Amino acid sequence: MKLTPPARSAVHHPHAHDSALKHATGAARYIDDMAEPRGCLHTALVTSRWAHARLTGIDASRALELPGVHAVVTAADIPGENDVGAIVPGEPLLAEGVVEYVGHPVAAVAARDLETARRAAALVEVTAEPLTPVLDLREAVEKAHYVLPPSEFLRGKPGPALADAPHRIRGEIMVGGQDHFYLETQAALALPQEDQDMLVHSGTQHPTEVQHLVARLLGVDMNAVTVEVRRMGGAFGGKESQATIIAGIAAVLARVTGRPVKCRLDRDTDMMVTGKRHDFLLTWDVGVDDDGRVQAVEMTLAARCGWSVDLSPGVVSRALSHADNAYFYPHVKLTGLFCKTNTQSNTAFRGFGGPQGMMAAEAMMDQIARTLNLDPLEVRRRNFYGPEGRNLTPYHQPVEHFRLPEMLDEVLASSDYAARRKAVDAFNAKGGVLRKGLAVSPVKFGVSFNKPEMNQAGALLHVYTDGSVSLNHGGTEMGQGLFTKVAQVVAAVFGLDLDRIRPTATTTGKVPNTSPTAASSGTDLNGMAARIAAETIRDRMADVAAEHLGAEKSAVVFERNMVRAGNKSVPFGELAELCHVARVSLSSTGFYRTPKIHFDRTTNRGRPFFYFAHGLAVSEVAIDTLTGEWKPLRTDILHDVGASLNPAVDKGQIEGGFVQGLGWLTMEELVWDKDGVLKTHAPSTYKIPTARDVPRDLRVDLLADAPNEEATVFRSKAVGEPPFMLAISVWLALRDAVASCGPAGHVPKLDAPATPERILMAVQAAKDTA
Amino acid sequence: MYQFEYQTPKSAADVVAALKADEDAKVVAGGMTLIPTLKQRLAMPTTLIDLRSVPELKGVREEGGTIVVGAMTTHAEVWADPTVKSKFPALSYLAGKIGDAQVRNRGTIGGSIANADPAADYPAAVLALNATIVTDSREIAADDMFTGLFETALNEGEIITEVRFPIAKRAGYAKFRHPASRYAIVGVMVAETDSGVRVGVTGAGPNAFRVPEMEQALASNFSPDAVANIKVPADDLNSDIHASAEYRAHLVTVMAKRAVEAAMG
Amino acid sequence: MALTLNMTVNGKARKVTVESNALLSDVLRVNLGLTGTHVGCDTSQCGACTVHVDGVSVKSCTMLAAQADGATITTIEGLAAPDGTLHPMQAAFKEHHGLQCGFCTPGMVMSAVDLARCEPNASEEQIREWLEGNICRCTGYHNIVKAVKTGLTDMQSGGKVAAE
Repeated sequence: MKLTPPARSAVHHPHAHDSALKHATGAARYIDDMAEPRGCLHTALVTSRWAHARLTGIDASRALELPGVHAVVTAADIPGENDVGAIVPGEPLLAEGVVEYVGHPVAAVAARDLETARRAAALVEVTAEPLTPVLDLREAVEKAHYVLPPSEFLRGKPGPALADAPHRIRGEIMVGGQDHFYLETQAALALPQEDQDMLVHSGTQHPTEVQHLVARLLGVDMNAVTVEVRRMGGAFGGKESQATIIAGIAAVLARVTGRPVKCRLDRDTDMMVTGKRHDFLLTWDVGVDDDGRVQAVEMTLAARCGWSVDLSPGVVSRALSHADNAYFYPHVKLTGLFCKTNTQSNTAFRGFGGPQGMMAAEAMMDQIARTLNLDPLEVRRRNFYGPEGRNLTPYHQPVEHFRLPEMLDEVLASSDYAARRKAVDAFNAKGGVLRKGLAVSPVKFGVSFNKPEMNQAGALLHVYTDGSVSLNHGGTEMGQGLFTKVAQVVAAVFGLDLDRIRPTATTTGKVPNTSPTAASSGTDLNGMAARIAAETIRDRMADVAAEHLGAEKSAVVFERNMVRAGNKSVPFGELAELCHVARVSLSSTGFYRTPKIHFDRTTNRGRPFFYFAHGLAVSEVAIDTLTGEWKPLRTDILHDVGASLNPAVDKGQIEGGFVQGLGWLTMEELVWDKDGVLKTHAPSTYKIPTARDVPRDLRVDLLADAPNEEATVFRSKAVGEPPFMLAISVWLALRDAVASCGPAGHVPKLDAPATPERILMAVQAAKDTA
Repeated sequence: MYQFEYQTPKSAADVVAALKADEDAKVVAGGMTLIPTLKQRLAMPTTLIDLRSVPELKGVREEGGTIVVGAMTTHAEVWADPTVKSKFPALSYLAGKIGDAQVRNRGTIGGSIANADPAADYPAAVLALNATIVTDSREIAADDMFTGLFETALNEGEIITEVRFPIAKRAGYAKFRHPASRYAIVGVMVAETDSGVRVGVTGAGPNAFRVPEMEQALASNFSPDAVANIKVPADDLNSDIHASAEYRAHLVTVMAKRAVEAAMG
Repeated sequence: MALTLNMTVNGKARKVTVESNALLSDVLRVNLGLTGTHVGCDTSQCGACTVHVDGVSVKSCTMLAAQADGATITTIEGLAAPDGTLHPMQAAFKEHHGLQCGFCTPGMVMSAVDLARCEPNASEEQIREWLEGNICRCTGYHNIVKAVKTGLTDMQSGGKVAAE
């Protein structure tokens, strides 16, 4: 029997995920597991088979004749506005006039069961006149085919500085997209209520956005729509804007039929319809000195936005603001291109453009080092941000509290880097079929939404008269452990055992006008809001306690489920009852907004980030030069989470983020055919990392004794996204192994994902250079 | 999935009779390919005839110099079978590399061979061992079995009852698998029997095939080097989103080498 | 064609009448209300729907319920003891943080329990290979492998000193 950890360690302690027991027993309920209400209908989508076409007709008559079919809706049947644009309007829920990608929803069927709905969907006849699509990212770049005009970050005078630089190096890489592959596909259950009200259970990271857009689609006020989510089976950004499509369809069908409607996409449909990580074409022109120090850089980051804007402004902005990664560029111009293609509308995905921006920086550093025959590690170190004069980012925010130089020393020592570097070089010098590669890559990730107004959060807390606590906040639980961490914060404020705090489903009815659970900010924002709510209630309770215990209020302490003052104490639950009798409110909201941040979107200058999270990874790989197959051998990670609220949850985020990044850069490949059909729309064709694909030797350390210098919740740091980019070390290690097949100074040509066939081609190219 | 009748005959003869009675009936073994096909409405059989209750189709036995595997033996059973493990370890290895654990618990050797997926593993073993495919009505030689993409010598209404593998002096299997589906992008089995050396290749072309040039080279010199420079032409090979024909051609040579290494232990 | 099927599910005799084309996963989830068996990919790749049929792990989204007529089935809901004591493998997943979003967890646990049947002393490499049929998108597998290792050991010692 394990003792419940004492309340004083509510934070900074490896508590299990709040749903761990339910997960392990199958008792945790996801939307598709909820008991279906009487008369519940099921949904199937009718989607475009053209990448680009003008719609000429939709005939649902045969579908409607099928017994059990209740409705087929098209754009014309939407009661309110047919628009689910997240940032800019003009993105219809159901196609109107034109279809813009293969998979574009055109109509939706509601029927008594899924089988009938699917059969009916197949009977809906859609006719169209094909138009010429743009499918290729390079083609979109060449034609300047954009969804929005380019965006630019500028500091200094890069043009003249480039011209003056001793060495000038140009390069490019393609970095592929990525499907989220949350294990639970997108799902929503819409339940019509009295009046015109609609309750939507939606698997969404952004309940407020779903509420807002469902209201718009139904033509009702936001107060007529309630959106609720207890948990998601993974999300990773894919259930931020995209969830509105599924919830919107369920809500419209529920309104039209007057019945509860469930919409759960099967995996193929999910992958065909919803947006993914943006693939990027990254090009740079860099001037360096003989030591590899950057003098000036011009970079172009061209993003495949797909057919619509969606969240691309934020994604490209974050790509631009991370194209420096950890490095100081004395003169810099970064240009972001919002390329339009007739493919799925790409969206948020863990890192939100940051990883792609960082890939430009890291590929460039690798190229500089190899071109000048310098040690890539040394080139990185030399280019790190430094003291004033070398600390200004391309968006004019000074880099403060930069932890990477010391962290680098630490991880090089703990990973035995120097000796392993020698061993790898010696191994490769033998010239065998197997080659090894070793690389170090840093991560500096800006924490806060790039858009200052999104950095706010609310919480609602109730203490009941038995001392139990009900916790609600605007953040959503998708597996990342947010509910656990925020509950820990509340437990710490009240000095209670964690099991006294009950996290409850996120609902727009309790905490309104929230931001999405995204940008790694879930705990920073909601943890702080919950803390403020808890402190408000604790302050009121302390008044009552002081009177009851006959002590000064300042002497009242909440700890170990008791409230003490001097040698007197009262159990927390008893005090709650006393508060009630004294007519003192035991309920409070909490509201938090991140301090210090500002950003001018017209000049792209400001302080968008409250602080930076840091990480470093050392990865070793082996490649088979006859087949291109490879193995990750070992990865050492040192990551900065400030004063961790929950080391077990944080390490889980680091391991999981790293492996997801490894999948992105080495195995997950999205392939469209010449007609714009996504050919990798199932896990049988789209490779997700399995237990065999990850390093056997994975050593993850949290940076010790490193509380956040900024006043975050219990001095912790955000952890959701930053570790994803640690996987760049694996891609660099693969390049290192490939480089060993060529002469000194050879720069491997290796796009991402580095699949075996690409690695083999890069090996051949290296050998041919020799 | 379309509607169908469902039957579980108790003998191979009853299966054949049921198939004769309904020409739109289909046989289901493990269902690892058929059920996804039905779910996608790519097939609409009127009747599904499940072979699971036919006892004579199950199990592994040794008969003279032959290992006989019943058509309904699962990949997991082939993998774990002590006779297969000791007498034909390459087949045990091959079976253990099919799909994943759950698929191996359902999928069967008969189903795999009858389906003749160009990327299935067993056809490489059938060709390399010169196995005999026994059906309800006749015996089919390995070289006659695989006739094209998802095509075999089986007639309508004919079912595989067992597969007879002559025991090899040595055999090895090497597979370059598709990372997601774990099907063979290229799989090569090399086997030496009393009647010579045979090389069976799966995954690379529209159907499994042999490489006579490699067989001749190995007959005089059974070593990896013997095949190291023998290339199959890329022209006839599959090219798809998973691998180009050139890459597959290259991999046939590399996998053949590795199969020889495996056979040599 | 409607069929009446008899199965033993989690120790109880169950009789269900379903269409011949009903999938086992649907019958478990809809007809029997056992929603711990999740459907993640609908195409027998992700393993979230893994259950045991006659003692071996199968992907229930790619098996007809008809094919399980007469079979003994165990789902995630049937692993723990009737008094709620967790199966050692469940306890290990909870203890070692072998889960995040939890959607893959029931399938992972069922698959890992089947490994104990085939390789009770499985090495780390064997564990990783065995779990290829189960995708987790959250954890990076590190803690899952640790949990399975512990679970296998604890199964051999005849159940675990309850961690709870």
